[in-house]
Amino acid sequence: MNEKTKFWILLAILALSVALLIYLNHGTNQLFL
Amino acid sequence: MQAIAVWDPLLLSRLYLTVSMNLKRVNRLLLGLIILVDGYIIMAPLVPAITFWWDGRGGTKQRQLTAAVHRAAAPSSVVAAAPQPNHVIIPSMLLDKPILEGLERDTYKILNQGIWRWPTGSTPDKGSNTVLIGHRFTYTQPKGVFYYLNKVKMGDEIGVWWSNKLYTYTVSDVREVPPTETSIEDATPDSRLTIFTCTPLWLPKDRLVVTAKLEANP
Repeated sequence: MNEKTKFWILLAILALSVALLIYLNHGTNQLFL
Repeated sequence: MQAIAVWDPLLLSRLYLTVSMNLKRVNRLLLGLIILVDGYIIMAPLVPAITFWWDGRGGTKQRQLTAAVHRAAAPSSVVAAAPQPNHVIIPSMLLDKPILEGLERDTYKILNQGIWRWPTGSTPDKGSNTVLIGHRFTYTQPKGVFYYLNKVKMGDEIGVWWSNKLYTYTVSDVREVPPTETSIEDATPDSRLTIFTCTPLWLPKDRLVVTAKLEANP
């Protein structure tokens, strides 16, 4: 796999990880929960 | 002249080499960031469990907190010698934290600071239902005040210092209810303490509710 392909895959994984963290944080921060 | 230099095959290959070398660095950086973010997602909810084990080793802290709640048994020590802030002591979850007051519009702000007394609920000196609310776990603040509320069992003692007096409660019920069940906040004919937080840890969808009945009224 060349570096360019690797770059796009890693970038996509990082974006998904950050989105998951934001989603989970929102879930745990709900009012009265 | 410049254009010719850019299209020079030698220069192009040099440029490609530089970019791919930098891409290698960038990819390494991205991989590091992924490990960091995913590691935090997985480990953050578990870190407070480790600190609970560390704080509770030997049982010294639990014994100290139990002794603090038992002071209610001795009438002479029920009223504090020195002014005490309003706070709650739960020995079984190694908790001794102040109770914060505030209006509903400041809910998020207060909950991020600690234990919030539900403003429309009662207070220990007035009887009825005193409701305490706190976070269990958030990614911005992993160790919520009620992270260990699941350690509280039936029969455990809870002490509440309120207006310089110690009120002792005994846990009579531990259950999980959906957030729609707001009856847990209602006024009651008996004097009780209702404590609730979110459950389960990662994806909270229910409330973990601990109800305790007043045992010693100063």
